[in-house]
Amino acid sequence: MASLEVLSPVANVVEQSVKPAPRPRDLGHATIGLYWNMKAGGDAALDRTEQLLRERFPGARFKRYTGSVGWLMRHCTAEDADRIAAEVNAVVGTTND
Amino acid sequence: MVELERRGIPTVIFTAEAFVHDARRSAQSFGLAGLPLAVVPAPLTNRRPEDVHRMAAEAFEQVVAGLTRPVEAGADVGRPAEEERLTYDGPDLLEAWSRMNRDFLARGWSDGFPLVAPTGRAVEAMLRGTARDPGEVIATLEPGFGLATVEKLAINAVMAGGGPEHLPLLVAAVRCLAEPKMYLRNKAMSTGPHAPLVLVNGPRGRAANLNAGMCALGPGAPSASNTLLGRAVRLTMMNVGHTYVGVSDMDTIGSPLKYSLACAENEAQSPWEPYHVTRGHAREASTVTVHFVYGICELHDFRSTRPEDLIQVFATAATNVAQVGTALWLIGRRADPRYKTEEREHNTLFVCPEHAQIFAGEGWDRARIQQALYKAARLPFRTLMLNKEPKALQAAHPELGWLADHPDLPLPVVEAPDCFEIAVVGGAAGRGAYFYGAGEPVTMPVED
Repeated sequence: MASLEVLSPVANVVEQSVKPAPRPRDLGHATIGLYWNMKAGGDAALDRTEQLLRERFPGARFKRYTGSVGWLMRHCTAEDADRIAAEVNAVVGTTND
Repeated sequence: MVELERRGIPTVIFTAEAFVHDARRSAQSFGLAGLPLAVVPAPLTNRRPEDVHRMAAEAFEQVVAGLTRPVEAGADVGRPAEEERLTYDGPDLLEAWSRMNRDFLARGWSDGFPLVAPTGRAVEAMLRGTARDPGEVIATLEPGFGLATVEKLAINAVMAGGGPEHLPLLVAAVRCLAEPKMYLRNKAMSTGPHAPLVLVNGPRGRAANLNAGMCALGPGAPSASNTLLGRAVRLTMMNVGHTYVGVSDMDTIGSPLKYSLACAENEAQSPWEPYHVTRGHAREASTVTVHFVYGICELHDFRSTRPEDLIQVFATAATNVAQVGTALWLIGRRADPRYKTEEREHNTLFVCPEHAQIFAGEGWDRARIQQALYKAARLPFRTLMLNKEPKALQAAHPELGWLADHPDLPLPVVEAPDCFEIAVVGGAAGRGAYFYGAGEPVTMPVED
């Protein structure tokens, strides 16, 4: 029998931890942000989502956002996030594929 | 979205089924693996609005649940192995090594080719290539925020088949990757085929026997050192940066360029100052430049004897709208909001020595080539916008709204002349290479 001992190539990672935001029981009087990163199709998904949210939560209000920097994808800066957080109670986003 | 959660705002994001693992891994790396998703069966892109509306409606209950139900922290996704040493047994060493390769492949630690065993002795020999302490952290590499210690780089360099002479080059390449301006997270995780093009200048490249001439990008024996260096960079992106295919690298097609893409500049046959001097480094310095590129196009011309004619040929490569970076300046700049960086889209030209001599013979330097290409490589506005979101143009350049009334106006494919990077590479024939770049290159000095 032969034995081969090798070293792991995998690096340890810097752990990050963020506490999830508390959730409201309903969105009846919420102001909901709709965030689009400008990838094609995301705006249409948010259009339909807004329509359905209005039907389910007639008292809800809506605000549209996109990031202030970027190219194919527009990203949210820290200042954008501060502003959005100050203006809405919840956010629906299309930021992925 | 994680940043909004941090600020106390509940969020939910639409995610295509194929990208759920990627989204979870990404959310985890930012500290919130349980970030709520509204999963749709396919990406929202390339679909008619009515089809997107239907997908959004089908995911609606997930949207409501994501915003109103308590969020669990979420399970770890693909956490790295904790064991620092692994042992493989077999009837002989060859079988033990084969088992190591099969296991590394199964764990996602391999590029698919057989790996050299990173034994303690091999890693120790590799570490003789640097004066740095093995525990020194060179950088934290995204997207996984992996700690790039000198030892981990040495292990991956051994696996690639490299020697001690490659380690300082790899360290410099990793410093390039980690530069905030590089926005590695975007390039590592994208659905696009971003490959790190590694260009070495100076005596350290020659000492490592890097090929700058015939078939510099391989394959074959003359380029063996190049291949190993490029491979070490890829393995480092995987095992240190945690860029794993299907987990955190969502490349749609993939690219053979991603296995290995490295060479040296052919300084001996260049009529101009070395490339790294144009980037602010001393002529006698050794440097590594990393430029992520999407693809490569040949710059073939056996007929032209005048610079102006070569430029016309080169411009045809630059005016390829199917390449994502072409005229991307119209809809903004590649930006990483965490570091407030912005990149312009650059493209790299490997001008072969034959063509370089034609330019230099008429007194053309790099700047003149850049200017001439900037003027020649233009397409009508309507053609450049074929695959771009009009609302992104409005967001990035509201002052250019008037272009809608001038669809046939020719516009440059890059933001400025210096978005063409020019290095002399290759052997003796009129064939260069044009690399469609992703953002800007970064250059770092090679240090012991």
